[in-house]
Amino acid sequence: MKFAYYPGCSARSTCAELNEAMRRVAKKLGLELTQLESATCTGARELRAIDLIGFFTLNLRILALAEREGLPLMTVCNTCTLNLLDAHAAFVGDPELAIKVNETLTNEGLRYSGRTRISHFLWVLYEDIGLKRLRELVTKPLNGLTVAAFYGCHITRPPQRYGFIDSRNNISLERLAELLGCRSIDYSGRTECCGFHTAAHDERVAIKLTGAHIKSAKIGGAKTMVTPCPLCHTVLDGFQREIERDMGEKLDMPVLHLPQLIGLALGLTPEELRVDRHIVDPETIASFVGG
Amino acid sequence: MQVHNTEVVIVGGGAAGCYAGLSLHRGGAQTIIVCKGLVGKSGASIFAGNLVLGGRLLGNTEENARNTAEFLIKYHNQFLIDQSWARRCGQWIENVYYPELEEAGLYFRRDNEGNVVTSPGKIRSIAANVQGNSGVPFMDLRRKQLMRARILCLEETAATALLRRQDGSVGGVFGLNYITGEYIVVLARAVILATGYSDRLHARSTGTREMSGDGIAMAWRVGATLANLEMQWWHTNDIAYPPTWQRMQVYPNPMLGSEKSARMINSEGQEFFNQQQDDPLAYGPYTVQLKALAKEVQAGRARYDGGYFAGFDHCDATEVDAYTTYGKGFRQLGLRFPQDLVETAVTAHYRQGGIDVDTETMCSSVLGLYVAGGLGGHSNGLIGLATYDGKVVAEGVLGALARLAPCELPEQQVESERLRLEALLSRGGGGITPAKVKEKVRSVMWEKVGVEKDAATLRSALADIEDIRLDLLPCMGVKRTTRDVNYEWLDAIDAVNMIDACELIIHSSLERKESRGPFMRRDFPNTDNAHWLAANLMKKTENGFRFEQRPYELPFFQPGFVEKNNLEVAW
Amino acid sequence: MNIVPAPLGSGDARRLGQIERHDSLEARNSRLAVGDTLTVRVRRFEREGGADILEFRVPYQRAMRVLDALNWIAENEARDLAYRWFCGSKMCGTCAVRMNGREVLACWEAVEPDMTIEPLRNLPVIRDLVVDRSPFERIVASLEPWIERTAPYAGFPEPLLHKEMENASKALDCIGCMACYSACPVIGLGNLTDFAGPAPLVQLAQTALDPRNDPTKVGRALAQTGIFNCVSCYKCEEVCPAGIPIVSRVIEPLKARAAVLVPGMAKHPQILRRIVAARGRVDPGALVLGVQGFTALRNLPRIWRMLVRGKINPVRTLLGLRTAAASAARRLLS
Repeated sequence: MKFAYYPGCSARSTCAELNEAMRRVAKKLGLELTQLESATCTGARELRAIDLIGFFTLNLRILALAEREGLPLMTVCNTCTLNLLDAHAAFVGDPELAIKVNETLTNEGLRYSGRTRISHFLWVLYEDIGLKRLRELVTKPLNGLTVAAFYGCHITRPPQRYGFIDSRNNISLERLAELLGCRSIDYSGRTECCGFHTAAHDERVAIKLTGAHIKSAKIGGAKTMVTPCPLCHTVLDGFQREIERDMGEKLDMPVLHLPQLIGLALGLTPEELRVDRHIVDPETIASFVGG
Repeated sequence: MQVHNTEVVIVGGGAAGCYAGLSLHRGGAQTIIVCKGLVGKSGASIFAGNLVLGGRLLGNTEENARNTAEFLIKYHNQFLIDQSWARRCGQWIENVYYPELEEAGLYFRRDNEGNVVTSPGKIRSIAANVQGNSGVPFMDLRRKQLMRARILCLEETAATALLRRQDGSVGGVFGLNYITGEYIVVLARAVILATGYSDRLHARSTGTREMSGDGIAMAWRVGATLANLEMQWWHTNDIAYPPTWQRMQVYPNPMLGSEKSARMINSEGQEFFNQQQDDPLAYGPYTVQLKALAKEVQAGRARYDGGYFAGFDHCDATEVDAYTTYGKGFRQLGLRFPQDLVETAVTAHYRQGGIDVDTETMCSSVLGLYVAGGLGGHSNGLIGLATYDGKVVAEGVLGALARLAPCELPEQQVESERLRLEALLSRGGGGITPAKVKEKVRSVMWEKVGVEKDAATLRSALADIEDIRLDLLPCMGVKRTTRDVNYEWLDAIDAVNMIDACELIIHSSLERKESRGPFMRRDFPNTDNAHWLAANLMKKTENGFRFEQRPYELPFFQPGFVEKNNLEVAW
Repeated sequence: MNIVPAPLGSGDARRLGQIERHDSLEARNSRLAVGDTLTVRVRRFEREGGADILEFRVPYQRAMRVLDALNWIAENEARDLAYRWFCGSKMCGTCAVRMNGREVLACWEAVEPDMTIEPLRNLPVIRDLVVDRSPFERIVASLEPWIERTAPYAGFPEPLLHKEMENASKALDCIGCMACYSACPVIGLGNLTDFAGPAPLVQLAQTALDPRNDPTKVGRALAQTGIFNCVSCYKCEEVCPAGIPIVSRVIEPLKARAAVLVPGMAKHPQILRRIVAARGRVDPGALVLGVQGFTALRNLPRIWRMLVRGKINPVRTLLGLRTAAASAARRLLS
């Protein structure tokens, strides 16, 4: 199975462990990833607010690069995914915009015709690999590891993009975790916001919001959290010591990237999955990796 | 108890009340608005679907202009209207209303070429932002204009009684802020009642929660002459289920940017009304629809409480969604749009009748008491007309202000009203729920004072109302006797007004011995222009009331027949 | 898990749970029938006396809405229940509540077989389900939500394209129900930020995104809104009964105006743009340094932690190292 692969910015900087883990897991799953080398940032949240045409151009360029490879596009970050989906929808819905952007892309010999399928790794597991095949590949079920899935906003809202009346009804991560042998919990923070997108100028919001989520996961009995978004991970894991200081209590909640959780069940070691780069040491995970 | 002193107090925060407030403020008069709901968020004004183009506005031809005027006189008022007032109103709408609204910022929907989107046809209309939802931004603009002018609005405050000076003229209102439980007195030189068209006196009514005939009841108590109380519209296309959507209409009007309008189907699947085809002149075809429905009901192919359907299954979804909100209700019910039809029923709508006024000043028969908008008995329908009333009443009051004295606190009246309301609160415990009393009143009105009535049903209704007054009212009690946010208490206060208003309406219905437009009497099925092209005035006397007729002048439009079966009359 | 389904069709994974959890209008309107009984819990509250949850069994009525259920309870079981509504038809916006933890407009939302009904969040509760709207009203009033023209009015109809009013037009669908205000997690943090909140911003957008309005006035209003505190979580969009895309059609366009009209307010986005244009991708270290300046260096333990784990790369940051994407970004964002 071949995919054009767009890791985004965080997976190659703050959360570089995500990119490494993803590549290793891809091999195990039989996914051949063609990285789009010259693909730029999708603009996080900020670019689309102040430079809409720049935003569309960068994103449609990424989609055009994938289209040139003739491959579907796989992402590993929620915000990248939503940006690409939104740009694609705008392209399809606004012929004038489509013409304008393609005019710019022509200068480097690119053109988008709206054919790229955008798929977060989470969806690739369901739609391209399939749960049946995945179950066959699991060699080390994570027996009874209690997991709190943290979706991250941009993979489940807005309703215009994803169709949920109530995004709490999204169960894709829990179902996956259970297939891997985990026990997943319901807790108040599941589909809530980590606050990443204002953290660069005011991290107090992220600290307060995410602190409450981790706390409720802990009270719910979770031994680890898993998230499909490196931006959420940056707050959940990267800011956890600040959160502990703000709350005045220890949390010590390890947070895994989705490919890392998958990878453990597929038989990869924590070292291979680069959990050493995490702030909160997931040493407790090893005990759950059974046979 | 809060006591306010001002120059003019307006009861009602809808189109008429807000515009009156703004006009008075422009004219230099100090004003307070007392609103039972939230200004610009309750009552009928927010339900305006779109706005009719009068006169020669926006490319209207001479024929369009004449059609609009004719439609107002015939289809909306069945000739029970002061045609000269209507002409003045039409001219104001053509010259001032739309430009003024747009200058203040109201967005009349454009297309991508910059044209104002209109509905085509014999009478044209436009929308504020989107059709089906013009009233919301319209009234929100008024709310913000009041905010900007810093006009004091006492919201969620029910006016419960008009206060009088020694000479009998009206000089203030007594009210209850039912959220805080505090009594409010507002003393003024003049009182404007602008409590609206629609009420909630029938089991299915378009009037919003707080409407209970208060304006009619309070005005009658101070001796104001009432007119045409029996003349009431019915919506024919209101959604039958859920109950709370009884006010949600499948608007039958022509759609912006389209040649089509909703169609109505009977229980046998046959179309029996489609405005653009059946009566293109009837821009707001409520009465025409009602008559078409009446024929279906009489033939057993529909009922007034359901069994017939409406929808847009003959249209393209994009056609409807382009400029209207009409598809939303269908989708919210899980229906496929536009393929699925929805079951509909009638709902009691605007009361054309109300308080009789001098249409040049909006003054009632009681000095100091003015009326604007739907509460007046001088016209029916349309947010533009209510707004015009706001202008006229402001001018009328400003013109009389010098002659109207300030009002001193009438201590005895205030105390008496306070005790009356306290009694309704303190009678606690196991009494009858006021909500049940209201429900009973509505049920009587629905069964016996519904679309089709006759002397027998009306007299029976009177007897029922009398029973409610004598047997149930005295036994009303509230469970919780604390004052704040006490909706039970408010229900009790409302119930009293409802009973009074309904009694007046039924008497007035008995008096008009004909059928006319939406007023249908089985025992008098003809429209009788010889005797009844007149205002049915109800005047208070020492020992009750008496009726008087005041024929309407017909300077511009005439019915063209003397007597005819109402169901055969086009309007 | 015993049954492992076959691979899903394209696009289905992102909606997993919708069918099982009846997450569609069609499902929510067909799962109950007349004859069924609902279990409805209502949070009651008195200022003296506190809160209590009461449970009721409510018979289902055809096409029943949450408001119908409340009406039934008030008519039959709890006659002193306090809840606000006026129109019952999605126009007045006064009946918003939380149902099973989710903000809904009571007259608009279909009932569920098991419901817990609570008042909106982030507003003081007066009694039962009635909340105090005045904090919202105060913010709206302070933003002066009316247009002031810079040029004289040209007469009806004035020259105006729908495209120029596109976003304002969406904002005009607002009925002021405050479901979004209740759902907003930043508002949930109270005074921590000066964020005006989604509902006041929608109200502001009605005139602030109107091309006929005076830009100076718009700038003045925007400067008070703390708009860059929005975390883009889309909870407001999720709960809006009018379906207004609040983030993409109100907040982001307002941010764009703020970036132009209020110097310094849009520092974070402007710096991000600059970094992407120069390097092709975001360098988080450069971003934080650019936005926070030297205060970013205050938390030395964190810097050490991140350095040790390789989460920050000072060399890359400070040397302005570019990525393979840099030339494309520079070209496209200039």
